[in-house]
Amino acid sequence: MKEQPARSAPLLFTLLAVPPLAWLLLLFAAPLAVIWGYSFGENRTLIDIAITGSWANYARALKPLYLAILLKSLLFAGITTAICFIVGLPVALSIAFAGPRARLALLVAIMLPFWTNLLIRTYALMAILRTEGQINSLAGALWGTVAVPLGAGPFEPLPLINNNFAVLVGLVYVHLPFMVLPLYAALDRLDRSLIEASLDLGAGHLATLWRVVVPLALPGIVSGIIITFIPALGAYLAPDLLGGTNSQMIANIIERQFRSANDWPFGAALSFLLMYLTFIALAVQALAQRRSAAREAQG
Amino acid sequence: MGTPSGPLDYLARWPLRLWLAGVGLFLYAPLLILIVFSFNDSRRTTAWRGFTTRWYASLFEDGELLAAFGNSLVIALVSTLIALAVGTATALLLWRFRFAGKAALEAVLGLPIVVPEIALGVAFLVFFTAVVPWPAELPWPLNLGAIILAHATFSFSFVALVVRARLASFDMALIEAARDLGAGEWLILRDIILPHLVPGLVAGALLAFTLSLDDFVITFFTSGPDTITFPVKVYAMVRFSVTPAVNAASTLLILLTALLTALALWLQGADLGKEAA
Amino acid sequence: MPDLNRRSALSGIAAALVLDGCAKRWPKGANGEERRVNFYNWDTYTGETTLADFEKATGIEVRMSLYANNDELFARLRAGNPGFDVIVPSNEFVTRLGMSGLLQPLDHGRIPNMANLAPAFRDVPYDPGRRWSMPYTWLVLGIGYRKSKVDGVPDSWKWVLDSDRYSGRIGLFAESDDLIRLGAKYLGHSVNDVGPALMTRVTDMLIAQKRHVKLFHRDEGQDLLAAGDIDLVVEYNGDMAQVIADDDDLGFVVPREGTLINSDSLCIPAGAPRPDNAHRFINYLLDAQVSAGISQTIRYPTPNAAALALMPGEYRNNPVIFPTGPGMANSEYGRFEGIGHIRAVDEAITRMMAA
Repeated sequence: MKEQPARSAPLLFTLLAVPPLAWLLLLFAAPLAVIWGYSFGENRTLIDIAITGSWANYARALKPLYLAILLKSLLFAGITTAICFIVGLPVALSIAFAGPRARLALLVAIMLPFWTNLLIRTYALMAILRTEGQINSLAGALWGTVAVPLGAGPFEPLPLINNNFAVLVGLVYVHLPFMVLPLYAALDRLDRSLIEASLDLGAGHLATLWRVVVPLALPGIVSGIIITFIPALGAYLAPDLLGGTNSQMIANIIERQFRSANDWPFGAALSFLLMYLTFIALAVQALAQRRSAAREAQG
Repeated sequence: MGTPSGPLDYLARWPLRLWLAGVGLFLYAPLLILIVFSFNDSRRTTAWRGFTTRWYASLFEDGELLAAFGNSLVIALVSTLIALAVGTATALLLWRFRFAGKAALEAVLGLPIVVPEIALGVAFLVFFTAVVPWPAELPWPLNLGAIILAHATFSFSFVALVVRARLASFDMALIEAARDLGAGEWLILRDIILPHLVPGLVAGALLAFTLSLDDFVITFFTSGPDTITFPVKVYAMVRFSVTPAVNAASTLLILLTALLTALALWLQGADLGKEAA
Repeated sequence: MPDLNRRSALSGIAAALVLDGCAKRWPKGANGEERRVNFYNWDTYTGETTLADFEKATGIEVRMSLYANNDELFARLRAGNPGFDVIVPSNEFVTRLGMSGLLQPLDHGRIPNMANLAPAFRDVPYDPGRRWSMPYTWLVLGIGYRKSKVDGVPDSWKWVLDSDRYSGRIGLFAESDDLIRLGAKYLGHSVNDVGPALMTRVTDMLIAQKRHVKLFHRDEGQDLLAAGDIDLVVEYNGDMAQVIADDDDLGFVVPREGTLINSDSLCIPAGAPRPDNAHRFINYLLDAQVSAGISQTIRYPTPNAAALALMPGEYRNNPVIFPTGPGMANSEYGRFEGIGHIRAVDEAITRMMAA
């Protein structure tokens, strides 16, 4: 049995469909419609936006200046997602295959840092990475005891902050649980006998991971990638506080439009440009999934 | 898998242990430094000047900060419950039924995740002040209503995504078998599907709770005169400096949420263990 | 923990969670308004007992909410006032809010303590006749620096905006508006009326300077300087005064080309539910004793002459709080110059940051 038509269980369908649809319509679509309207508007005064139906804001958003920043942001979010996946997969595996007690402990351990305010976490990261921070003091002390007696020069602090490296560290730090949780949820219910069979048949752990675990856990991996990539694309604190002089991402531009630039129509257009892109990507993914499901059902 | 053993007991393998230790160091080193400097006897958080607990003492005299704590926890708890209910319904709907506009709904569901926070914040700002004005100065906790609704809105699609991933692998034979044995839709939902969902629900709830507790932008734009939350307070505090008082407040929040979660998970631990076995 | 009094902790939690929880009703005062006033302010921007003292004196409770910068304040209010009675925008935003109809005119008859203000602050270009605002503090931008790492006193904007001498050790303010204004000032122009040609010139100068700049900060420059991340930073005198008190290797100078003056000002937003309480509160904050108490805590320069007279010499003669020299004589308020100008500034900054 796969999906059934709504007609087959009308009561259940209604009960399941009404809350999300009503919520999305009233509390998401309606507020957002206002902003969508603004994206076709222009500022008349500091507070008065006339919705003129003009595409000028979108045209401005597609200028090379902004496109370049968008591309750079996509790249940063992509790298962040990849690192989170590589770092998070073994963690999710360990959690999924741990005993119930250890599993709870690990889940809490992964989540605990994220109940610290994002800004505070970012400042904590700054404190560690900075020129006179803990990593550099540690490295400096090591250098002093090991390298200097061997004739090396004085310690040069490592450039750990105010560059793109620091931005990536910050993005991974913040987005890791967004990857680990869906991976864990997907891995948790894998058919363990398949993995054991693969191992029994002589495949190594890494081969089993790639050939058996990853394909089986694909839906969870996809949702992990989506909910890591998209928030990473929208991050603005990490580039702001950890970045150097050329680390601005698209979210910094959007944020500025709604604050210091006081240009809500342009901010709205930039936001919706991001949303159109995602909307298309998600719709394509949903369609592909349905088509492959239909093919399976036929075959 | 009540007693793990054999090839899948990944926790017992040293490469994974090393990996976990590395990730743990990465995640916890900044927090440890943060906690250590909450005891620093200086207004700065960069150089160690001696041990003191005065920052904690000053916190407990700061009624505003305690109220902000309380508000943040209430908002996070209530919005998580709403997000859990609506998100799970969405996931079940998409998994169970075929209907017109399904692909569109799936794509729309991704939108709360992709809308830049600030755009959603401004959307709620205009919505709750100009379109459907949220009455000012309602008694607590009703004055938090606008913030709670906004938080539930952006977190429920996270819940839906995670729960959906969990559902994708559900063994349909179980339902067929139950139906053959005469079980109705409700019984199947309650006794077969929901128990299977527990890990997904826990993961989704943790995400929603975190998102709510951490949110500054949307909260700022939906808050009124009496609804200061912890992140709003923190963002205002660091404008002048990151003082150890900020660190002390964060340390307390870490401890408090850790306790709450440990309690919640411990209460649920029996179920989770049974389900996973 | 000797000083962590358990009773005060418990009563604090009780106050926060329970008392607030019950539908708190404020009795009406003689003026027919509920005995409360909603104060929207920057954090740690009153004296330690100011709000409690006001409640003791008048029976009106002050409920404070917080914002972190003027842009947030403006964004929060532009769709409508959710119930604030008194706000504290800076000079340019007084103009912006006033011209947008988001403020109520002040009734000077109800603010007799206006007489305490220094003459220079009774009438100002950003609010002619003090129609909308009363000054609360003032501050200037300058260069904060680490004395042991800098040769002499860096008393020109050149050292941060147009020179490789301190390459890799400079922190600039991310506040885009101010960067362009200061750049224009450095080039011998006013901070106002920056036309397209000059804006391009300043932007190109900043782009060229960027490889010598280590970071852009959001008003936490004094912390970055104190932590040793940078050796020169564009910051406000009030913020620098705090770190200089802890570390005498730090200094502050207003460059000789002149600078931007700012003044945070008390205003009543349009639609404030309790305008009379708001007037009483503003008048209270301008009282000489009260204002001196505030300056004791926040150590920004005060525009209140009567309060200044009550302050110790250590504050009055502090060269960081009250800078002197040619730069001060040549300082100006930044003026609001229309939405087209804001947009041009934002594009210039985006271009600079992306370069």
